[in-house]
Amino acid sequence: MKHKKILVYIISFIIIPTVVIAGTLFFGSKAFAYLSLVTAILACVPFFLSFEGEGNTRKTVLLAVVVAVSVVGRFAFAPLQFFKPVSAVVILAGMYFGSEFGFLTGALSAVVSNFYFGQGPWTPFQMISWGMIGLIAGLLSRYLKKLPILIVYGALSGVLFSLIMDIWTTVSIDNGAFSLGRFLAVTATSLPVTAVYAVSNVIFLIILAPFFGKKIERLKLRYGI
Amino acid sequence: MIKTLHPLTLFCYFVSVITVSVVTLNPAILGVGFVGAALFLALEKGKTALKQIAFSVILVVIIAVTNPIFSHNGATILFFIDDNRVTLEALYYGASSGLMISSVILWFSCFSALFDSERIIYLTGRAFPKLGLVLSMILGLVPRLLRDFKSINAALKTIEKRRLRRYLGAFSALITRSMEDAIVTADSMRARGYGQKGRTFYSRFRFTALDFSLIIVFAALLALSLVFTSDVNFYPNFSLTITPAGFAAFVILSLLPAVIKLKEGIGWSFSLSKI
Repeated sequence: MKHKKILVYIISFIIIPTVVIAGTLFFGSKAFAYLSLVTAILACVPFFLSFEGEGNTRKTVLLAVVVAVSVVGRFAFAPLQFFKPVSAVVILAGMYFGSEFGFLTGALSAVVSNFYFGQGPWTPFQMISWGMIGLIAGLLSRYLKKLPILIVYGALSGVLFSLIMDIWTTVSIDNGAFSLGRFLAVTATSLPVTAVYAVSNVIFLIILAPFFGKKIERLKLRYGI
Repeated sequence: MIKTLHPLTLFCYFVSVITVSVVTLNPAILGVGFVGAALFLALEKGKTALKQIAFSVILVVIIAVTNPIFSHNGATILFFIDDNRVTLEALYYGASSGLMISSVILWFSCFSALFDSERIIYLTGRAFPKLGLVLSMILGLVPRLLRDFKSINAALKTIEKRRLRRYLGAFSALITRSMEDAIVTADSMRARGYGQKGRTFYSRFRFTALDFSLIIVFAALLALSLVFTSDVNFYPNFSLTITPAGFAAFVILSLLPAVIKLKEGIGWSFSLSKI
């Protein structure tokens, strides 16, 4: 168990910086696509490693179920376009089961749902974005229990998710250079989607959050987690 | 033959070919990669791949045409739009950049076509056994939960006419039900000894001498392509050099799957006609 923790530190503080520096030195300015891809994948590894070290079977199975629920949500609401509960489920998972659980829910939801909707170079970036949404929800869980704050966070995470993906689109077209004009064009075309993301996050959170809290209470009472 | 290879071999192949594709903007190299990926995809998936290939070509065109709007570098001026230069070099740059993005997307599609969930779980399960288990559970749960969702939704149809309300109610019920199932499953797993030491794994994948030699070949081709890079310069003037050794290595690397697939197809039709 201990050597896995050490490995986490080695990856975060030695391997990722080394990859970035070596990549820049070796490939120069053309390195962006390679670097961002490798860094995004490596950034997920510490979370997966520390998950391996845990011994709680219930948590393991619960993770599988929560991820499956969020992926099923993407199908279940397919008739209503862009109306997906993934972010809401990830936020709630982070709030109630901790930030690490939240990160894993987000990252795995991205991988698994892309099995059905198409894998691509965007998968690692979706993993990171959704993972961070869950991670931050876990860190802020104390404040997010208040509904107004939760709503703001939900809307914000929808906008941020969209903006991060837009930045990635912009930078990958220009291979590392960031052009404001193109970014604005990309953002403008994705604006309707961004709005729907934010609104659907809020709706899902308003409806699911109170239930979710009760469900967890019930689980605790019934099975004594 | 490709499907009988060990997942690690296939994984090494995609790592090498995608690595070369993302570190260069040389249109010749990217074009070869694009053709290799598109050919293999068409041979592997048949008609469904054609739509995807058409989409990639359109993506290249869109990025090529829009790039001069945002980038005004380059010496060869084609025409002006509102005092902004539209240059040939920016068009070339956009085309190369588009080629890189769409060829990587195509390589990822080839990866998905070959890596079914079993191979993914096998690969992740070696390094991260618990993660592999979670992945396989998720992939088993998704169709089951979708079926549950549909039946809950059908039952709710009798009491709730508003569609969004009904979906949300069904989704909430699904969460409750599946989370309680999860606890029961976990307890049952623990009762049967999950997590104890000395567990063995069964897998139907065998690492053969062919796999070993192929990985060495991929590594050699990757090294050749990365060391003997073919340079390209867009601004102010477009110039392209091709280093034969590196270029040839990448041609072999990217066309390999399509050639194997083609050879198999021919062999199969010959053996058919003999019967």
